[in-house]
Amino acid sequence: MAWVAPAWAESTVVELSQMRLERSEEGVLLSTNLKFDLPPVVEDALQKGIPMFFVAEAVVFRDRWYWYDKQIATVARHMRLSYQPLTRRWRLVVSHMQIGNSGLALGQNFDTQEEAMAAVQRISRWRIADPGDLEEGARYNVDFKFRLDTSQLPRPFQIGVVGQGDWNISVARNQRLLLEGAR
Amino acid sequence: MSTGGAPEDAPRTALRASRAFRWAVLGGAAVMVAIAIVLLFLLTQATNNRELYERNYGRLFILNMVVAAVLLLIIVWVIVRLASRFRRGKFGSRLLIKLAAIFALVGFMPGVLIYVVSYQFVSRSIESWFDVKVEGALDAGLSLGRSTLDTLANDLSNKTRTAATQLADLPDSSAALVLERVREQLSASDVILWSASGQLIASAGQSRFQLNPERPSAQQLRNVRAQRSLAVIEGFDEPALAAVSSARIKALATVAPPRLDLLVEPRVLQATQGLPPTLVANAIAVQEANREYQERALGREGLRRMYIGTLTLSLFLAVFGAILLAVILGNQLARPLLLLAAGVREVAAGDLSPKPALQGKDELGGLTRSFAQMTQQLADARNAVEKSMDQVSAARANLQTILDNLTAGVIVLDAKGNIQSTNPGATRILRVPLAAYEGQPLASVEGIEAFGAAVQTQFDDYMDERRQHGLDHWQQSFELNAGQPGSPQNNALTLVARGAEMPGDFRLLVFDDISEIVSAQRAQAWGEVARRLAHEIKNPLTPIQLSAERLEMKLADKVHGPERALLKKSVQTIVDQVDAMKRLVNEFRDYARLPAAELKPVDLNALVADVLALYTREGSESQGSAHVPVEMDLDPHAPAIMGDAQQLRQVIHNLLQNAQDATEGAAKREVTIRTQWNEAGKRVRLIVQDTGSGFPEHILKRAFEPYVTTKVKGTGLGLAVVKKIADEHGARIDLKNRVVDESIRGAQVSLSFAVAA
Repeated sequence: MAWVAPAWAESTVVELSQMRLERSEEGVLLSTNLKFDLPPVVEDALQKGIPMFFVAEAVVFRDRWYWYDKQIATVARHMRLSYQPLTRRWRLVVSHMQIGNSGLALGQNFDTQEEAMAAVQRISRWRIADPGDLEEGARYNVDFKFRLDTSQLPRPFQIGVVGQGDWNISVARNQRLLLEGAR
Repeated sequence: MSTGGAPEDAPRTALRASRAFRWAVLGGAAVMVAIAIVLLFLLTQATNNRELYERNYGRLFILNMVVAAVLLLIIVWVIVRLASRFRRGKFGSRLLIKLAAIFALVGFMPGVLIYVVSYQFVSRSIESWFDVKVEGALDAGLSLGRSTLDTLANDLSNKTRTAATQLADLPDSSAALVLERVREQLSASDVILWSASGQLIASAGQSRFQLNPERPSAQQLRNVRAQRSLAVIEGFDEPALAAVSSARIKALATVAPPRLDLLVEPRVLQATQGLPPTLVANAIAVQEANREYQERALGREGLRRMYIGTLTLSLFLAVFGAILLAVILGNQLARPLLLLAAGVREVAAGDLSPKPALQGKDELGGLTRSFAQMTQQLADARNAVEKSMDQVSAARANLQTILDNLTAGVIVLDAKGNIQSTNPGATRILRVPLAAYEGQPLASVEGIEAFGAAVQTQFDDYMDERRQHGLDHWQQSFELNAGQPGSPQNNALTLVARGAEMPGDFRLLVFDDISEIVSAQRAQAWGEVARRLAHEIKNPLTPIQLSAERLEMKLADKVHGPERALLKKSVQTIVDQVDAMKRLVNEFRDYARLPAAELKPVDLNALVADVLALYTREGSESQGSAHVPVEMDLDPHAPAIMGDAQQLRQVIHNLLQNAQDATEGAAKREVTIRTQWNEAGKRVRLIVQDTGSGFPEHILKRAFEPYVTTKVKGTGLGLAVVKKIADEHGARIDLKNRVVDESIRGAQVSLSFAVAA
């Protein structure tokens, strides 16, 4: 019954570089570049045709001195990366909702894993809040999280892997939303 | 029930306990059923619907954990309770623990066995699913599909390249016609000619009807320019069913420009060919199977954990359930035993109060009922015994009282003649503190050695004779202190003793002091003798006297001188002696022939005065004893007594006579007669005192017997007559010496009479 996460699990290091938030007429845009290498176990699973799910989440909070910060916008970006052994191509499906295994959503095909991973790791000008959500004069901060979503893996898999360091790919950052860009 | 007394309490407690027990069983059963349902659910889900099972696994697991935790808590609680009971040394906890341990073991061992086997089975069977051959087959299938697709793609790519050469010199405007031909050559579903910049030049096939057919991507265009031709397989990303119809090979090939102008970007010919649906379906199936296989292969550790976790959990549930049931069942089984044991303990301690019984139909319940019944019978029996014991002790107390108040002496001896017990009568009669001699032979008791020896001899003889003659007792009279010749018979005792055998080889000796009876018998015998003697002696006395007087009368004149004087003197002597003899005879007669008293109210004072008057006159007339003055001290308050005046007169006379005689020769001669009225006792006392020498010690006891006298000339009948009359009157007679400063100052006789009603 030892499915509790072992404490010694080492997680994969995810480097979060160049996280940039900008306010424009479209709203708040987030651009960043994640840097990490897939652990061999995950890569192996991918090579065997098992899809992996990545989730990027961004939450915009308005500062409130009298209460906990108000959450004014939440966006998520679900990504499903899969390899097709038949055609030897990589496919990445991006959606703002959870993606099942059905694969109805449209996606991009990549010939190589590197290209596909680059597409996963690069987030550019992601609109995380509508312009109407923001008020002048208020202060905001943004929570950004990126992780490998193991909850969508097949169950036996989950039971086997949950808590193992190799499968723990995640990063989180909180950044103040600076009033830069167009006014 | 509502007014339950002490006896109803125990069944009520038992009832309450059984109700609590029923609740516990019910609760335990409910928990068990819930667990069973959960497990069944798990089982069915595991076999039927893997997806659902996998999705709900976590929840099920948590549920089971909760149930297990609850059971564990219950068990811990039960164990703690048992342990605390055991530590407190509560009765029966050892048995309960033993039973629970046995049941738990019985439940636990098969569980562990099944668990071990299942564990092995599950881990082996899961491992056996993942076979190298299967994996290889899937891999091979996948490669097969892949190479088939590659072959088809290469084929179309080559063909397209060949076709592109046909279009090489063709101007854009006439391309459409050629394209149709090319399409047929390639047996492609669709052929499109793209300009270098990706503009549609001409198309044939399905895409003609499309307003805006899908353009090749820039990447593809770049690649095709570099490689002259390439093939892309599309449509596999879509769901399996759609993929079957939409899977296709798209081949691109550069078309050389019409003029050999290198600066002009080459056009691109695109040919699309649908893939055979069966091929696609099979390929996709293989791919899916491979994916699932790989998933499972990678997740088998998890699967194994899942199954073993479920197994372990069910083991725990089963074991907990077994232990819980064991405790409950052990309780159930032990309860009657504990009840019995507690009952036995109480009974052993002497508590025969009604015992609780179980109503169960099994043998243990029957046992408790039988025990309760038995206890009841015991209690009844004991009550009966107690009752009879009470009766016996009451009878014994009665007997003891009778024995204590018996005038006869009773001694119980053992076979060797040792004293076992005595009664106060024995002590009184023998004048020996017999109680102090218990356990010692009777013959060793100081003062009555002879008696003891005689008794022992009697008993020995009796025991011998009994065997021959079957006697049931012996009887013998003994004279105690009689054997010493020369000594005064001051404390001679006449005893009649009777011996008998008692159960348990004890001997009973009963004896009575018959000294007084002997004395009375003697008095009676003397009376008879006196009467006869008086009769026999009296008859010749008168002729003797008459003859003597006649002799004197006839001879007085015939003889003279000294003869005459002699005659006269002799006759006088004869007459005097005959008179004296007559008086003696009369006294004898009086004693023997005392008439029965006629009791009437009599004034004692008047009587005394009357008699005394006679004495005064007598005193003045005669000499001798009459010189003694008699003092009279009469109590004027004395009422009349019941008595015979004539006999009382005799009594007073005798007493006064005795007193006067007793003072003879004393320095101070004085006689006092006195009456006393004792109001409290309702009696009148008559007391006669003298200043004589008093009674000698040996006379004092037998003074009332006839012919016991201190006087030189006396018949010894005076006091005997007094005693006889006093007995007739029911008067108490008391004889004693007046003692002042340890010297005898005289005698005193007192009689106390009952007053007239």
